[in-house]
Amino acid sequence: MNPNEVDILLVDDSQDDVDLTLHALRSENLANHVFVARDGEEALDFLFCSGPHSQRSLEHPPKLVLLDLKLPKVDGLQVLQQVKSDPRTRTIPVVLMTSSREERDMASGYDLGANSYLQKPVEFDQFRKMVKLLGLYWLVTNQPPVTNGASRPAGPVK
Amino acid sequence: MKSARRLLIVDDNPADVTLAREALEVCAPDCEINSVPDGVEALAFLNRRDKHAEALRPDLVILDLNLPKRGGLDVLAAMKAGPHLRRIPVIIFSTSQLGRDVARSYELGANCYVCKPGNLTEFFATMKAIEQFWFGSATLPPRGE
Amino acid sequence: MSGVGIKLAAPSSVGPKPKLRALLVEDNALDAELVLRALRKDSFEVSALIAQDEAGFVQALRTHCPEVILADYNLPNWTGMEVLNVLRRQNLDIPMILVSGALGDVLAVECIRQGATDYVLKDALARLPEVIRRALKEKYERSLRHQAEENLAKKVDELARSNADLEQFAYVASHDLQEPLRMVAAYTQLLSERYKGKLDENADKFIGYASEGALRMQVLIQDLLAFSRVGRANGNCANVDCNAVMEEVLKTMAPAIQESAAVVKRTNLPSIWADRTQMSQVLQNLIGNALKFRGKEPPVISVQAEKADQHWRFSVRDNGIGIAPEFAENIFVVFQRLHARTEYPGNGIGLAICKKIIERAGGKIWVESEGSGGSTFKFTIPVQSPDRKDGMA
Repeated sequence: MNPNEVDILLVDDSQDDVDLTLHALRSENLANHVFVARDGEEALDFLFCSGPHSQRSLEHPPKLVLLDLKLPKVDGLQVLQQVKSDPRTRTIPVVLMTSSREERDMASGYDLGANSYLQKPVEFDQFRKMVKLLGLYWLVTNQPPVTNGASRPAGPVK
Repeated sequence: MKSARRLLIVDDNPADVTLAREALEVCAPDCEINSVPDGVEALAFLNRRDKHAEALRPDLVILDLNLPKRGGLDVLAAMKAGPHLRRIPVIIFSTSQLGRDVARSYELGANCYVCKPGNLTEFFATMKAIEQFWFGSATLPPRGE
Repeated sequence: MSGVGIKLAAPSSVGPKPKLRALLVEDNALDAELVLRALRKDSFEVSALIAQDEAGFVQALRTHCPEVILADYNLPNWTGMEVLNVLRRQNLDIPMILVSGALGDVLAVECIRQGATDYVLKDALARLPEVIRRALKEKYERSLRHQAEENLAKKVDELARSNADLEQFAYVASHDLQEPLRMVAAYTQLLSERYKGKLDENADKFIGYASEGALRMQVLIQDLLAFSRVGRANGNCANVDCNAVMEEVLKTMAPAIQESAAVVKRTNLPSIWADRTQMSQVLQNLIGNALKFRGKEPPVISVQAEKADQHWRFSVRDNGIGIAPEFAENIFVVFQRLHARTEYPGNGIGLAICKKIIERAGGKIWVESEGSGGSTFKFTIPVQSPDRKDGMA
């Protein structure tokens, strides 16, 4: 897959959830350009085109970031904050998808600029349905920003 | 147990507002829908001022861009600047497909951008998709005071 | 170079002596007299001014507006060459004839090179009238040519602006028409759905006609917009691999291809200098037509390209219903259709768009058809397109 043709960045360290998500997306033919990152650090490297992802270009952001909150190395809210506070990446749609039921997390999520917040259903079938709906909404109904206008060379995350 | 969802539609074209209501009547008959025709009234409603002193804060705002008095982007910026209003998800709903309108909307903090479809069937389908995602799947921010 | 803003009449060779305004640059009164006599003898009715130095010369240029300058080379403190400098500095295109004693070839040639029209020896003044006549004639022809060039440039400019206006109008009109049309289309459709069978029997029919009309108008306007966009394209030309473009087109059209059980073949296509989106549009329109206007058998479409001279010749051949030769040109005209809307859908704009794209790229498009045996659409694209003013390849 061309690193600059990624539609969805899926950030989740749970293999089960990743599998289920990919399966659901595949059923709507949306899984062709999904990149999976297992921790917050890799997610940031991917989005800021640094480290192992320095061959990516800031001019080709993903159309959607599906971000879990509980992540190793750098947690979801921190990733969200970095992405939403940097003009180069601020306009990338980030949807938090988490098993947390904490209202506090949800409030922080929206406060930090998450485009949306979803609670992962416990039930298998509901989970799949939710992913299908969200995939269709964010990749078909929604108009992603065409370009973030960033033309500065990729640099390390501040 | 979700109480009835509250939606604010900001659009100066009453025909479009009616279309949206008709569409939502089918898929979300319990939804409480309010509409305002311009940017000034939109902010008055959201801030519970003047004739909208009794207004209830919406859970979701559908915002057109071309509005009289104060444009959609203005309203968006004002909402995202205020501590109480900034959490409310805003969907830009516009006929404009111009890249710069889309980009600017995201820059100012729009949660998403949906183009108003040209034909009825797609319009209804789009409203349904919006309702299903935002009122069905997503967890909306807690209602403030 | 201006002729000091004076309209020149074509010099006549018969009839009353033509008038001539001459400016002599000469410090010797006798020499000046001889020159004037040579002119007046048979040829001209001369009104002359004599300047003896630079100041006088510059003044006389302004007040006398001469048609010809006759200058001696050797003047006190000044030379004929400097006369030429003054003319050049003031951007004046007045014939200057050197009337001088023997100068020597080298100097004479140098003067001519610096802009003098001719050189007449003082002891051969009989030549002077003919030399002047010739100089004036050349000047006249020069001004005619210049005028024609200016007219042409102005016409080209007007045409370009008029074209730009038209395209702008087409774009704005189609764009602004979409909004009210959207209302009509949506609500007639809503009426049709909501009140079907609930009003009298005519109501359903009337609403149906209105609704269909509105929907058709929407498509028409979208087509018009697409057509006008061809002209507004920025011309993002690049090296385009036509094989890759074909792959994308085939992927986009996969449902239609599958539905008609069509087979699309192609030979190896070249890489060309063109606008990728527009090339894609052309191929998509041609293949789409081939699918639409199919015969009884499943469509077989073959796409090829061959090099000929300075261009690539592409061909899209099908085994469909073909086109009668008398309509071969007509089909490329905007909104021209050969069949009733009920027989084959569409507005008749696809080929007009292809034609506009191809011709803007410097190529040609045409169709060869054996009547009912299918059609072959061919178009050419220049190999390396020169820079065009409108930025298109």
